[in-house]
Amino acid sequence: MMRSPAWRQYFTLVVEALPSARGLLPLVALLGVWQLLQTGNSPYFPSPLDWWNGLMLLAKSGRLYPALSATTITLLLGLAVAVLMGTGIGLLIGVFPRLSRAFGPLLEFLRAIPPPAVVPVAILFMGYDERMKLTVVVLAAIWPILLNTSSAAERVHPLLLDVARSFRLSAFDRMRLIILPSVVPAILLGIRVALPVAIVVTLLVEILTSIEGIGALMISAQRNFQSSQVYGLLVLIGLFGLLLNNVFAVFEALLLRRWPPKTQSQSF
Amino acid sequence: MDRDRFIAGINWSGTAVFVFVGLAWEAAVRSGLLEYEYLPAPSAIGLGFAELASQGILAPDIAHTLISVAIGWTVAIVLGISLGILLGLSPIARRYSLASIAVLRPMPAVAFAPVGLLLFGFSLKTEMVVTIPPVLWPVLVNTIGGVTGVHQRLYDVGRTFRLSRKDTILRIILPAAMPPIVVGARISLGLALVLAVVAEMVGNPEGLGYGIVREQQALRPDLMFAYIVTVGLIGIVLNAGMLALAQAFLPSFRQLRGG
Amino acid sequence: MTSAGERSGAGEKAASPAFECRSVTVEFPHKFSRKRIIEDISFLVRSGEFLTIVGPSGTGKTTLLRAMGGLTPTVSGSVLVHGKELDGPPEDVVIVFQDYSNALLQWRTVAANVAFGIERTLERREAEQRVHDALALVGLEKNADDYPWQLSGGMQQRVQIARALALRPAVMLMDEPFAALDAMTKASMQDELLRVRDRTGTSFVFITHDIEEAVYLGDRIAVLTGSPGRINRIFEIGLPAPRDQLSTRQLPKFLEFRYAVHQAIGRDHG
Repeated sequence: MMRSPAWRQYFTLVVEALPSARGLLPLVALLGVWQLLQTGNSPYFPSPLDWWNGLMLLAKSGRLYPALSATTITLLLGLAVAVLMGTGIGLLIGVFPRLSRAFGPLLEFLRAIPPPAVVPVAILFMGYDERMKLTVVVLAAIWPILLNTSSAAERVHPLLLDVARSFRLSAFDRMRLIILPSVVPAILLGIRVALPVAIVVTLLVEILTSIEGIGALMISAQRNFQSSQVYGLLVLIGLFGLLLNNVFAVFEALLLRRWPPKTQSQSF
Repeated sequence: MDRDRFIAGINWSGTAVFVFVGLAWEAAVRSGLLEYEYLPAPSAIGLGFAELASQGILAPDIAHTLISVAIGWTVAIVLGISLGILLGLSPIARRYSLASIAVLRPMPAVAFAPVGLLLFGFSLKTEMVVTIPPVLWPVLVNTIGGVTGVHQRLYDVGRTFRLSRKDTILRIILPAAMPPIVVGARISLGLALVLAVVAEMVGNPEGLGYGIVREQQALRPDLMFAYIVTVGLIGIVLNAGMLALAQAFLPSFRQLRGG
Repeated sequence: MTSAGERSGAGEKAASPAFECRSVTVEFPHKFSRKRIIEDISFLVRSGEFLTIVGPSGTGKTTLLRAMGGLTPTVSGSVLVHGKELDGPPEDVVIVFQDYSNALLQWRTVAANVAFGIERTLERREAEQRVHDALALVGLEKNADDYPWQLSGGMQQRVQIARALALRPAVMLMDEPFAALDAMTKASMQDELLRVRDRTGTSFVFITHDIEEAVYLGDRIAVLTGSPGRINRIFEIGLPAPRDQLSTRQLPKFLEFRYAVHQAIGRDHG
């Protein structure tokens, strides 16, 4: 079979991960029209240019970057912990079906509670600090990862397990060489689902408690009726989320190169 | 023997774990083993329920949240399905809009709250600003997917019977696209509940979301947990209701249970 | 591998047969009682011999193979490799499964798949050499860096065979390995298998429901019929070697054996 050079493969993957740029027309048109219609200084609907000015003001005042990094660090750290714990617990549950049956109903009950609802609980228990914020992100992000991992671990093809036994693999080797690689696509899917939830929860905590972060910046701007800053930060958050999602999509595509195409998650 | 099979079918270990955790929790709090100032025993949560209900607070809060969910979901469904059909049928429209959807979709709902507060203050409208956009996406995306996924053969059938464009859409494409649309609607419903709660936490001091935050600030964890459990239960009921409804309209489609 | 039963020295397994089943019986729990799948299976396989086991579906062929491979425990009777009784999957025996797609590690390259059995026990250089030799035996040297899902069914099955060969096993157990392949691929794989046997001296136990395949490949044929499955007859196939797809299959003796095996299977065979 034909093999193009590695750099071209990466490039193709990146290009395929981004949707056709022509589709941005409605958004660009909306912004353009809004800009044109906004001649005065409306407090409720500032023009897109004003958003930019508002953001620059925040940046110059030295408040933007600390907030952005606080949000990003909590998010990434929380996700990392969620991946480690979710994968670990998920594998345990998946590999020992008796555990899965025993803890199933309990997990189902806990899963039905929406992550945002857990935020006040965490605030009550742990107070208003960074540790609480991190805990909430982990709790919110862990579910999709855990559930995807455990269900994939349960579904490892029995023949593959026969092969493991036939080659007399130790339990540790079986986990390392067969089960873990088998569930990697599912873990990635879980992370992909967990990403938006983690972002929402992080922002929610910041808005509710004004702990350092973009959300806190946003609510403080709203309370001071700095509408252009509010809109500007909204766009910033949107771009931030977009960047995160796309970086992850590329990362996922690169990681899944060696898997048969059908295991790659739906992008539409 | 059906009775044996029924007994064998019950998840004994699962129920046992569930009950055991509940009892252990209760015992630990009562005996003073678990001394968290803010950890109520399950019995206290139950009493909290009773307190809220007897004071006539719980019912209006549930009603408010459900109304919020209903409005948000309905608007999202109507917008999502109609837009979705349009986009699904027109490749040109898709080419000039899918990227925008891809950009807007990951916007975290809660980030709209300050904007909503700015424009509408504490009101139901703010709740809608937070609820509607994210709830729109699953329906929209699934409708587009459902319409574009209609098998070519079905279009051929329409042409064989010389159906008009309108009839083709109404009698072939729409029914064929129904299953993913229904799945999208179901996901949206669950999402609408979560977002209504979130909106009530930050954007409108009414309903179950506000109840959770209010009791947290009042340092009444028993009532706070009662609210949270209520949210969970409503979520389960809504989901089951949606499933039942979908089952009734599309009895042959078993994929509804997924997702 | 030494055991009390072996008498001769290095390499020669003439003292005890490479593989032996003695009165093997396997049962599975079924509803609230047990179902006997195979009963009183006895046969032996000599070193370098090609034994085919043929029978209609549902007679427990796969169960027998799994018992031979140490994956399924026996209720009574024993399985012996070089005169030593099994307790779990034995070292000198490798199974090649019918479902190649799910028996290979789809996320590893072909070479990494072939190395799967030996990577933990051999030195890197020796393992690489064995992988190279195994790939050469099945004709897949050029595909060492491909992934299984990029290859055709026949090639994937060859990867599985190469993986088994890399272990230099004494016995290869094969569960209808060519059943999912088209006729032409099947024919060339059959010949390749015989070539491998000639070059390596491995014993083969080959399960199939294709009577012609059984007669073509086998030195001996065991017929498995009935429920529970029992060995009905064992045939000594005296066809000349090397076999040839066209000429061997036209020999009168070939047709006689085919007829005889057909008869031994009885009217159950579809």
